[in-house]
Amino acid sequence: MPPATQPSKEITPRSVANKSDKRRLLDAIRMALDIQSPTIRRNTQTFNRAHYQATSLLPDYEALKNEARRIKEDSIARLPELVDQLRQVLEARGGHLFLATSAADACRYIRTTCVRHGAKLAVKGKSITTEEIRLNRALENAGIEVAESDLAEFIVQVADEQPSHIIAPALHYSQERISALFKRKFQTGLPLETGEELTQFARNILRQKFLRADVGITGANLIAADTGTLMLVESEGNIRMTSVVPSVHIAVAGVEKIIPTRREMAPFLELLAASATGQKLTSYTNFLSPPIDDPPFALSGKPRKNREFHLVLIDNGRFRMRDDPVFRETLYCIRCSACLNSCANFQTVGGHAFGGETYSGGIGGSWEAGTGRLQNARFSELCTGCSRCVNQCPVRIDIPWLNENLRDRLNREADPSVLSGTLTTLASAPEANEQAPPDKLFFGNYHWFAECASRFPRLANTFSKTKSSRWLLERLFGLDRRRALPAFPKETLVAAAARDFPSPVTNPLARVALFADVFTNYGMISRGLATLRVLRALNIDVVVTDSLPEGRAALSQGLIATAAEFARRAASLLDGYVKQGRDVVIVEPSSLAMFRRDARHLLEDSGQFERLRARSFEPVEYVVKLMRHLDRDAQSVFDVNRSPVGTRLFYHSHCQQKTIGCALSTEELLRSIGFDVVSSSVECCGMAGSFGYKKDFFELSMAVGEDLFQQVRRSEDESRPRALVANGTSCTEQLHAGLRRKVLHPIELLAAILRD
Amino acid sequence: MLELIETFETNALEAAAEVRRIRATSTALRDEIEQTTKSAASIVLGAGEFLPASLMEPLGDLPGVLAAPTDDQLSKAEVGICGAFAGVACSGSVCVAMGPRLVAMTSLLMPFHIVLLSANRIVARPRDLFDPECFNGEGLRRNLVFITGPSATADMGPLVRGVHGPHRLRVLILE
Repeated sequence: MPPATQPSKEITPRSVANKSDKRRLLDAIRMALDIQSPTIRRNTQTFNRAHYQATSLLPDYEALKNEARRIKEDSIARLPELVDQLRQVLEARGGHLFLATSAADACRYIRTTCVRHGAKLAVKGKSITTEEIRLNRALENAGIEVAESDLAEFIVQVADEQPSHIIAPALHYSQERISALFKRKFQTGLPLETGEELTQFARNILRQKFLRADVGITGANLIAADTGTLMLVESEGNIRMTSVVPSVHIAVAGVEKIIPTRREMAPFLELLAASATGQKLTSYTNFLSPPIDDPPFALSGKPRKNREFHLVLIDNGRFRMRDDPVFRETLYCIRCSACLNSCANFQTVGGHAFGGETYSGGIGGSWEAGTGRLQNARFSELCTGCSRCVNQCPVRIDIPWLNENLRDRLNREADPSVLSGTLTTLASAPEANEQAPPDKLFFGNYHWFAECASRFPRLANTFSKTKSSRWLLERLFGLDRRRALPAFPKETLVAAAARDFPSPVTNPLARVALFADVFTNYGMISRGLATLRVLRALNIDVVVTDSLPEGRAALSQGLIATAAEFARRAASLLDGYVKQGRDVVIVEPSSLAMFRRDARHLLEDSGQFERLRARSFEPVEYVVKLMRHLDRDAQSVFDVNRSPVGTRLFYHSHCQQKTIGCALSTEELLRSIGFDVVSSSVECCGMAGSFGYKKDFFELSMAVGEDLFQQVRRSEDESRPRALVANGTSCTEQLHAGLRRKVLHPIELLAAILRD
Repeated sequence: MLELIETFETNALEAAAEVRRIRATSTALRDEIEQTTKSAASIVLGAGEFLPASLMEPLGDLPGVLAAPTDDQLSKAEVGICGAFAGVACSGSVCVAMGPRLVAMTSLLMPFHIVLLSANRIVARPRDLFDPECFNGEGLRRNLVFITGPSATADMGPLVRGVHGPHRLRVLILE
């Protein structure tokens, strides 16, 4: 491994697999953007589209997720008891169970079993868990040939790389690169250009391995404790070959794969297929209770042995995860890859950058930390907290929350810095996070900088444009100097609202507290003022609250104690208004997401969280709700002909806004007013709050944004552009950076087209 | 039941399986298989556990059927035929129960798999087979594989059908 300060010479997937040193994370991002990105983008986005399609066809998708979650919670709670039950069931049938405490322990058992059978060749079905325990190396060191039979695993074995995706380990390989790899490694003159030729070539090699193998090694998607049944999902037939043809079958699985009963495997069947590859069912879904009763298979010349079965359950840190109140949730993971495929960063760089030595993507950091060292999870910094994976997870794991916790723990291991201490004191930030690196404290306490700057906005705006200040901000806080900084308005929303809208509405239809979130109050105040105008036009009484940070920025930096304190203060402020009978309206989607989603982890008073969750709204969502209540037609309130930007729009909703379910209402309202709307289908713009402002991630952020920029360009023709409409502050910055065009918030557009 | 059969047919076709609906008589079945396999030199006949013996027996003397295949012959045979435990309408899958004579091998080793499915064994969704009331709860006891179309991969770039498992899957629905 190269020392931390030296740039590595040749960057290969293996050389940057361990990212405990941040330099390797940055090298890996560059490698992925240079070589792998177009293939990864195409493949992950294909999976992601199929996933949305398949889950929309499941009539009971939400109920299946609830059922799956319940079963996993129950299983992990009863895990020790289930291991004992499974052992008894397997042994009664003549099988063997070994619970391996460590990777080395597991490898030793499997190697011994293979050696006892005089095995020369072991054929393997796909198993990422065997990658975790480095099984191939252990067997090869004992002189046993290991044939990976899943074609993707075959490719990464030939290339000597780690998997880049949990269900499609060679997802980063294009057909052209596979062709070049095979020609180079196999020194063959065969035509290996098309998918069929490449498949045929690998198939022919592997068919002989299946027929001659002494031992077959598979993983398991689930294991039923009551019957010893393995559920094995695949599409190529290699797992069937591996589990049925050789007489000795060894299944290797994380201990968390056990569920109580075979009957409870039922909800996972369709749910896993839809979440993973977006199919109704994968080509083969096996339910085997080995040793199976089919007669053993042996080609002439090979001894015919009785069937034998070993289940090797891996602990390797999992029981420790089970005891951890936060990371226990990781064990519910059924490894479907939905969180990888729905992640904008993962779609752009894949698992060699957004991943560690074995596991990748949103859930990958928790697996790497849980089965290895915390530092191995440093790549989880690529989780921006956009939350697009949250609704896609079939067992409802709050993956951003896991990553925020990893970040919090990593922050606590950082070397103390004078700057961090000073910043904490100046900003009166909670001391609990004093040890975090300065960049994390800067972004997490952005409200303090914004508040200071808003006292002298002209000075601050002039200062923030100078080269020296940008150099300084980049040096101290990693704030990329290529990014435009938001301009501070002459006055805050609170001040402007008090002047422009001093009087209450008489006999109002409803009463609202407009939360002066940091980004609206110290930044885009026109959005707040537009909200006031529209709501007042609908006869709503609106008060603007004091401006407080709600903790979303701190949470995204892994400053959990800070986030919790901010969330408590803001929640108590807003709850006061709710108790007076006001609804809460919040302009910035990420601030709203705090009260609709994130705060449940942070507020001790769950009643308060539930109240705020039910009573907080995005401005346009609230307008739609009101109009429905009043049974008013959109065109009676808004006149499309007054639009200052024409009637053709391109609408991009914010990632967290989509997750909390208030993006569609805006689209529908704009259409019903008479706008011609094209909506973005990207998961996230790539800016994701502070992520795109960071020097380390600027290129990645812009590469992610490219999908959005292209969608805008494709929606237009030269003579007929579309006006850009977006909700998020950071989405607005990103669209501006990529397209150099003005962006309106939908509420600003609505305020401009109000009928008299 | 007709609706289940039609849904099964639509989804199985979508999964790239071939589907034929034929009358559940020994002549119709024999004729159909003879037509489909006439160019095949070696056919392996697995058990038809959930079908009347009167349907299966006449298949034994079809041209090309190996009477008692060795494992070497199994590894080289061209067509595998076996009965299905059930069909699943919503996904177009056939569910095969292993154990009886050569069912595991005929549904796996040969490039062409023909599976015989009784129309009255089609259920709506895969989870129905995990109901203890369904087919005497056998779905909870047997070694099963849900087969949805021929084996496939997208690992080499485009979607390729025909990898380690059968390249061609033909479902004969017996009505």
